[in-house]
Amino acid sequence: MSNPASDAPAGERDVALACAILKQRFGERLQTGKSIREQHGHTLSWLPNQPPDAVIFANDSQDVADIVSVCAEHKCPVIAFGVGSSLEGHLNAPQGGVCIDMSQMNQVLEVQADDLSVRVQPGVTRKALNTYLRDTGLFFPIDPGADASLGGMAATRASGTNAVRYGTMKDNVLSLRAVMADGREINTASRAKKTSAGYDLTRLLVGSEGTLGIITELTVKLHGIPESIAGGVCHFPDVESACRATIQTIQYGIPIARIELLDVSQVIASNAYSKLGLKELPTMFVEFHGSDSATAEQSELFGEIVRDCGGSDFEWTKDEAARNKLWQARHDAYWAARQMRPEAEAVITDACVPISRLADCVEETRKDIEANNFLAPMVGHVGDGNFHTMVLIDMNSPKEVAAAKEFSERLSARAIAMGGTCTGEHGVGQGKTRYLRDELGDTVDFMAMIKQAFDPDNILNPGKIF
Amino acid sequence: MVAGASSNDASELLQQQVLDSIARSRPLNIVGGNSKAFLGAVADGDALQTSNHRGVISYEPTELVITARAGTPLSEIEKLLAEHRQSLPFEPPRHSPDATIGGAVASALSGPARPFAGAVRDYVLGCRVINGQGQQLSFGGQVMKNVAGYDVTRLMTGARGTLGVLLDVSIKVLPVPEQQITLESTIELPAALATMQKMKGSNYPVTAACYHEGKLSFRFAGSEAGLAAAIADLGGDKTRDTSFWDELRDQQLAFFNTDQLWRLAVPSGTPALDIAGEWLYDWAGEQRWLKTTASADSIRETVARHGGYAQLYRAPESLQASAGVEHPLPDKIMQLHSSIKQSFDPHSIFNPGRLFPGL
Repeated sequence: MSNPASDAPAGERDVALACAILKQRFGERLQTGKSIREQHGHTLSWLPNQPPDAVIFANDSQDVADIVSVCAEHKCPVIAFGVGSSLEGHLNAPQGGVCIDMSQMNQVLEVQADDLSVRVQPGVTRKALNTYLRDTGLFFPIDPGADASLGGMAATRASGTNAVRYGTMKDNVLSLRAVMADGREINTASRAKKTSAGYDLTRLLVGSEGTLGIITELTVKLHGIPESIAGGVCHFPDVESACRATIQTIQYGIPIARIELLDVSQVIASNAYSKLGLKELPTMFVEFHGSDSATAEQSELFGEIVRDCGGSDFEWTKDEAARNKLWQARHDAYWAARQMRPEAEAVITDACVPISRLADCVEETRKDIEANNFLAPMVGHVGDGNFHTMVLIDMNSPKEVAAAKEFSERLSARAIAMGGTCTGEHGVGQGKTRYLRDELGDTVDFMAMIKQAFDPDNILNPGKIF
Repeated sequence: MVAGASSNDASELLQQQVLDSIARSRPLNIVGGNSKAFLGAVADGDALQTSNHRGVISYEPTELVITARAGTPLSEIEKLLAEHRQSLPFEPPRHSPDATIGGAVASALSGPARPFAGAVRDYVLGCRVINGQGQQLSFGGQVMKNVAGYDVTRLMTGARGTLGVLLDVSIKVLPVPEQQITLESTIELPAALATMQKMKGSNYPVTAACYHEGKLSFRFAGSEAGLAAAIADLGGDKTRDTSFWDELRDQQLAFFNTDQLWRLAVPSGTPALDIAGEWLYDWAGEQRWLKTTASADSIRETVARHGGYAQLYRAPESLQASAGVEHPLPDKIMQLHSSIKQSFDPHSIFNPGRLFPGL
């Protein structure tokens, strides 16, 4: 069962022994069946399946601490698993080891309405949290495409369509409890607004992709459900004019909550999958949150900007059903794209550039897609300068796989050359490790020193980021 | 857009000074405008002067991002931003006209807008630093979202110079609201705390909330017409004068004229605390300034019971030494701090003891 990777410390790592000890402790909650291991070794990623040696379903933080303690003693890799919706092979087990499935740790522990915050276990998903909150007048705004777990979202510093108004996980996690590599649990901050003096451990753990500690509890910020939400759709003759409209909207200080772009190819995909009936032109979805009068005023102002920039057909509505249909379609963009070539896998890119360079970056990428004859729909969080292409390729064709990899590399290099990053929100995982050095140079070695200081035996999610 | 005459890149010189200090095992005290010399214990060591490393490196108003050298005075940055009707949303206090952007980031102090607009940490996008090996390293960047590796930028923010020398910082800025209105009313403390809390959860565009000398003040962004509901709801006197907020932000109100001052951070909804002294409530009641002769232990114990913490913000050196500036950290957290410090500054040359004794 044990399959120590070649770079593991020789003669020390003993995954089989760790699993045997944990089996004694956890009984049926430790599973070694092939299919359950494979379910935990392959997420929404085009990387090959890399199953762990065992999967344990944790019930509480003591379980997590016990598992990590045993793994620490035997230098066994240990990986925390939420719902498996990450995109860069973050959760696969390239060096084997133990996967801790957090799905049973799914309790909302305490809504602190006065504090606009909530304490949750890491397995709570974003939709489950909002369902729980529905009678409180509060909501949690971060919305990656999938119904991800809060623990996973914190670990990958996730964002979504609301980031332009409400920020990302880095802005919305107030404090964490986490089990560190020695099996001890820490609490990173108190409930007070400003974390006590000292290094910002909360934000060091947010986005550390399970490599510095395993999140066992989170306190996240909540927001009041706006009195009024207005949303709409408009079309643009080209991506450049859509970007111009975005820049003007932000310049005027219009507090837009969501501003999302779909290219023609994605519009075709979403029309088919989500039955939208949109014109086949670059299309923008927008939403405004605030008082009744404010959202009406903002929608009118935005409409003027759209017309100034050559856009058309801007229509807005406060009707909840119509808005929900639109945003569900946006969240289903991944599935819609895959439906265009059902037998294919999607290689997803995640470039983020300064907004003024977004149009150039998208245009050059579009030409690259055409030159390669790819089927590759594109969606953009244009308010943040972040966009994704979903290159649909046949994994059985080495030629297509190689071409997609080269395309990804060119796109990452393009974004970095424009002052941006190869990953705006999906993270590094295994998929982006080689671009990290292009982007950060020697800084990567320095980050590795932090990893070494926190986890000297490299047991926490090894093979990721670095 | 690049600034002119006062622009100077001293990064090579600073790097050389750091390398010399490493070679001689001499600690360094990093000094910008020296406007926050009172904050934390200043150890023996050679001054590393960053105020000559100054100037705005890039500022594109359409991008809402400014990148400046650490020694650039806040006043220079704010003047440039104001020309484009933009500002630093976290309102860093300017303890003197010499205060620098590097100092603002290193100390992570935020002004009255903090509970509504966010803190320094929420706006710092990237930084370039000299670490304790004398290397220049860049973290984060100038884009709004970046998840490429560990979030070191936010580790530097608030580290008070103990992890390295900040060279440049990139900061997200925001448009200034078209109009601002302040509402003031005279009210008792318990009602003031309850009202501040209620307004924080409301849909009104509150940008600051403070209770001082029996007077409750709210600042709103927006026009009088747009704020009709808030004005009707709260009552009180309207003013467009923002000088109170500036003085609060810069700690220039008469209240702050003292050499012994506590800063308490408490969770929202915390009632009035039973410590005798003079109080000022900012951040809708979540940041409380206190002038008192009560003992440090009793203050820390009371605040901790409510889930908050107390910082000895200003104090005579003797009290600072006996009481300590910060609330002590749990052992395991302190160990992690030591690990981080060791990774960044293995020779312990940067601002030793400025944040915690022994760090």
